[in-house]
Amino acid sequence: MYGGDEVSAIVVDLGFHTCKAGYAGEDAPKAVFPSVVGSIDQMEVDEPASTDANSGSAGEAKASKTPETERSKGKRKLYVGSQSLGLRRDHMEVISPFKDGIVADWDIVDSIWDHAFRECLLIDPKEHPILLAEPSFNVQQQRERAVELMFEKYKVPALFLAKNAVLTSFASGRATSLVVDCGGGSTTVAPVHDGYVLQRAVASSPIGGEFLTDCLMRSLESKGIEIKPRYSFKRKEIRAGEFQTVDLDLPNTTESYELYSQRVIASDIKESVCRAPDTPYDETAYANIPMTPYELPDGQTIEIGADRFKIPNILFNPSLAQTIPGMENFSEVAPSTRGLSQMVIESINKCDVDIRRELFSSILLAGGTASMQQLKERLEKDLLEESPQAARIKVLASGNTTERRYSVWIGGSILASLGSFQQMWFSKSEYEEHGASYIQRKCP
Amino acid sequence: MDAKDILGLPKTQFPIPQEKKSRPPKEPQRKPDGISREVYALTGGIAPLMPSIEVSQLKKRPPSDEKITWQWLPFTNSARKDDLQLFHWVRVVNGVPPTGDYAFAKYNKKVNIVKYTDEEYEKYLSDPAWTKEETDQLFELCEQFDLRFVVIADRFPSSRTVEELKDRYYSVSRAILLARAPSPADVAGHPVVKEPYNMSQEIERKRALSMVLSHTKQQDRKDAEVLAEAKRITESRLAAKGAEEPDLPPTAGAGAENSEKAMATGDIASPSNPSAVPGTSVVMADNASILASLRMLRVYLRSYALDQMVQAASSSAGLRTIKRVEQLMQELGVNLKPKVPTKAVCAEHLELRRDILALLNLQKQLQNKEAEGSFHDSPYSEAPGTPKRSNRDQDRPFMPEALNFGADRLGKNNQKRKGLQVPGRTSEGAPSPAHKRPRKLKASDL
Repeated sequence: MYGGDEVSAIVVDLGFHTCKAGYAGEDAPKAVFPSVVGSIDQMEVDEPASTDANSGSAGEAKASKTPETERSKGKRKLYVGSQSLGLRRDHMEVISPFKDGIVADWDIVDSIWDHAFRECLLIDPKEHPILLAEPSFNVQQQRERAVELMFEKYKVPALFLAKNAVLTSFASGRATSLVVDCGGGSTTVAPVHDGYVLQRAVASSPIGGEFLTDCLMRSLESKGIEIKPRYSFKRKEIRAGEFQTVDLDLPNTTESYELYSQRVIASDIKESVCRAPDTPYDETAYANIPMTPYELPDGQTIEIGADRFKIPNILFNPSLAQTIPGMENFSEVAPSTRGLSQMVIESINKCDVDIRRELFSSILLAGGTASMQQLKERLEKDLLEESPQAARIKVLASGNTTERRYSVWIGGSILASLGSFQQMWFSKSEYEEHGASYIQRKCP
Repeated sequence: MDAKDILGLPKTQFPIPQEKKSRPPKEPQRKPDGISREVYALTGGIAPLMPSIEVSQLKKRPPSDEKITWQWLPFTNSARKDDLQLFHWVRVVNGVPPTGDYAFAKYNKKVNIVKYTDEEYEKYLSDPAWTKEETDQLFELCEQFDLRFVVIADRFPSSRTVEELKDRYYSVSRAILLARAPSPADVAGHPVVKEPYNMSQEIERKRALSMVLSHTKQQDRKDAEVLAEAKRITESRLAAKGAEEPDLPPTAGAGAENSEKAMATGDIASPSNPSAVPGTSVVMADNASILASLRMLRVYLRSYALDQMVQAASSSAGLRTIKRVEQLMQELGVNLKPKVPTKAVCAEHLELRRDILALLNLQKQLQNKEAEGSFHDSPYSEAPGTPKRSNRDQDRPFMPEALNFGADRLGKNNQKRKGLQVPGRTSEGAPSPAHKRPRKLKASDL
């Protein structure tokens, strides 16, 4: 009757901003939490011991480094999950496992997965096949690492690695489409043909939700508005209905934690206030925009005017970021970033001519940043301008903004619960027989 | 897995068809037992199209001999090469789990890729542009990706275009098929053999397609503008050329010329003599239509143009009349085809022809009237007759207006025309059927 067969697989999508995990076959992930961890280095406790080791092994740099770092890693306590992160702790640093879009620190990834399985979903990974979502431009080395970690540590019975773009495409019921994933850490444009990503035509830019949040923060700072993190004040009720803000002095709070807390508030501002404008940003045109009020957690009410439209425009015109004071170093970081519509056209032009028309008429929007209002209309308009006459442009996005956020996870849920998918798992016995590099064959 | 399955009911046995036959005629009177009248009326009072769950069936509890449970059991999948056992929910009847392969294993379809051995490669398939490793890699990818060449091209280690890959694959398949077949005729029907892959054609086609797809909207807009500009220019050029054509008929009188030009071109607004305008309308109409038809040709000889005009001018007359016209012209000493066919000469020539034609027409009509007049020889006949007769030498209103010009012209052939004794005209008078507006007297007419 329908092609589904429940094998109780688990789908895990580790994104830059949030990690989503849940059972396959459901329509939303059960566990959603930030994919950064708080870590408290407990090296101060063991300092004398480690400094001895340091001086002793100064000569042999590389060989001794591994035991050194291993020990320091062992001494690190990681706090995962929004609850743990929400509680401020002394000396807690907030670190992300990602660097430049790919995983750099596998311990953190390990702890995140552990938290997802044992504390959020309450499952034993030995009994469930796992479907992992990976970035569309992932390299072979990273995949092998992930496979090793899963099989060795969690002893899963079967595993599959699927690319984000393919999962998004499946979530909308298409085998061929151009996926525009505006995520937290980066924006990726990837064409999918018949269920496979065309890797040579993938285009990505480092401008993502986090970058936009940073821009907004700097912009507000330059206007003199200070965003106070939630932990740094207390509101005392002086009289009935009236509150007074009392600043708390917490000297042991790390800078990264402060930044993290500020970012949480700033991204909330961004999500509630920012809108993608219909026309490219023009300083004079937006000078007289009516301001929108927003109340900060400490009671301050701020007015946001031109920034409402300036920030989303950075997606389409990255050079705008340089005009924000405090963000000038952006030009050194990424001199050749292109706007969203140029990336789309570029990506399509790298594909074979025969499929271009089909790609033009099925452009999918996905990711957290894509839930910005009016983004779809603006992208459509820009593309109509720059695209060839012969092509029919159609940008599709799920109407429900939560669906756009979780479209990768939803695609994974659909895929892992299909009856005809069950033959494609990379099983433990195959791993033992052929090794981790077999993943390339099994999960193209 | 529908509702019946969950309840454990047997699938419908179809006792319905026989009942249905007897049912329709009795339907309005009877209602089936088990449901109340009102509920039955809700369905429209007729039997449902599909066999529905019979009420009696619902009353029956699940058959007692079967025990249905759902269990979480492992299963194997024949589409897999290893022995991975995953678990899923299975409907177990009487403690006996269902046998048979996994239901979805049958969807594992693969494409048949030819496999060649090394000797076959040496014998048939060596190609200077392709090494054996590359060919092997290509075939491996073809199998992995089920001949999706776009994806294969994307994953191929060295960058080869889709056309090259397709070309290599199809030529190798073809060679293998031909080599393995007992005789060429056996495989002649195979699509790979019948229609060989034409790489150059594919490359051309893709190039053209990419050209089409790379025109951005701005380019298209510019193209459209340029085309519109070009169209306007050609049209104005043609119009300018058309403006010269109406010079062929009477060139006498600047006013007349102006009016002719006005009629012919239309967008050259010249303040012409309004009096001359209606007079010239018929001739101009003729010429204009000829000009229009000539413009369709775009390339034509001027002598051809003259011929057309002569033809048009004499179209109203019969063959005999044309012969007489020509006879007259020869008597006058005018060549049938002007020796030096310049514009002025041709114009005069045409006019001469028209005049002769008109003269002949007039003479014929005169004769007719005289004949008539002789029939109705009565006192009254004089009246209609005499004015006619008295006006005989004058302009006949029904004559084509071409005669108007005769007096106006100051051309070379004036003397000859005078010899023709074209009578002087009075143009005041009755409107002729030939034109719609009453003619006004022109000073130069007299």
